[in-house]
Amino acid sequence: MSDSIAIYVARYRPGQDEAPTEQRYDVPLSTDLSVLEALNYIKDELDPTLAYRWSCRMAICGSCGVMIDGEPRLGCKTFLREFADRGELHLRALDNFPVERDLIADVERFMDHLETVKPWTVHNSERPVSEGEYRQTPAELERYQQFSQCINCGLCYAACPQFGRDDSFLGPAALTLALRYNLDSRDDGSAGRMAALNADEGVWRCTFVGYCSEVCPKDVDPAQAVNRGKVASTINYGLNLLRLARGEHDT
Amino acid sequence: MTRKPYRAPQRWSWWLKNPAYRRYLLREATALPLFIYALVLVTGLYRYTQGQLAFTRWLEALQAPGWLVFHAVAVAACVLHAATWIELVPKLLVVPGISGRSIKRGHQVAALIGSALVLGAALVSWPLAGGAS
Ligand code: SF4
Ligand code: FES
Repeated sequence: MSDSIAIYVARYRPGQDEAPTEQRYDVPLSTDLSVLEALNYIKDELDPTLAYRWSCRMAICGSCGVMIDGEPRLGCKTFLREFADRGELHLRALDNFPVERDLIADVERFMDHLETVKPWTVHNSERPVSEGEYRQTPAELERYQQFSQCINCGLCYAACPQFGRDDSFLGPAALTLALRYNLDSRDDGSAGRMAALNADEGVWRCTFVGYCSEVCPKDVDPAQAVNRGKVASTINYGLNLLRLARGEHDT
Repeated sequence: MTRKPYRAPQRWSWWLKNPAYRRYLLREATALPLFIYALVLVTGLYRYTQGQLAFTRWLEALQAPGWLVFHAVAVAACVLHAATWIELVPKLLVVPGISGRSIKRGHQVAALIGSALVLGAALVSWPLAGGAS
């Protein structure tokens, strides 16, 4: 194993560059160094102008997502030793988002989509505090727990060619969050979220590429959530037809 | 400082960049041979309505090497289509208490038994129906 590794970073400086171009940095190689720590090394020792995001260093905050050799991954959860044999790796900002600067993607669109699905527990009527908490059995928790592990890192959006083609698609994490609340026994908001799921930008945009679930660092399996959303949307459609046939209003 | 975000357009070659995308497109592409196969079958049915001679000619035409190769490709595409589809079933069909693995196995076994039954029925009924004559 050689004692240094070449890290090529796609740099983009707005106002200066027309498009991102790669810049090479040589970083001392050690087996326990993460890609994020390598970026910190570059910034501290080689080039203070490099821009990238991070916070927790432990796969919790979801801010350090970048394309590492063409795959969306968390910088803090990926180690240089994986690339030691090749002696180089390439970094660029997350695909499918506009690049703000260097490795920083503008994830505004993703944040908007998260809001669209009302990712909070909706109650038809608020209970007074005196009635105590909303309780849930372990089995009820189990139904949605996996989908509540999402850290909003956006890797699944960088993995989704449908979002890349048209970013009005609500996308994997937002649709997962919709299912997460729809499956929550304390929530009354499913009917309200159905409109977003059924819409043009909703679940039916998904063509089951499935790469989102492969790259998710938290094993959320957004592809499962989106496609269960299709099942829910189909049932909703059938029920609405039935209601219309009976002369009622659809919901 | 003014913002000037860089937007990379999605190129036609996006699916070449990543093995996961290539696998996806291969799976989707299996629909093409299956579509052509359906057309071939419908043609056969049509020839059948035109009388025995037309039908026998159609059968003979299919013996050409090109068509044999096509059928081999269509079978391969069909198997790949079924296998990749069944692989995805646990993501659509979630039954509390039954693991995704069992659901997948169940589908694989059902597909094998179902195909064997259909194939068996075809092999048995073919001579009964007078074969190609
Ligand atoms: S579903 Fe997974 S990949 Fe997508 S934002 Fe959440 S944690 Fe990240
Ligand atoms: S720095 Fe928080 S997820 Fe990587």
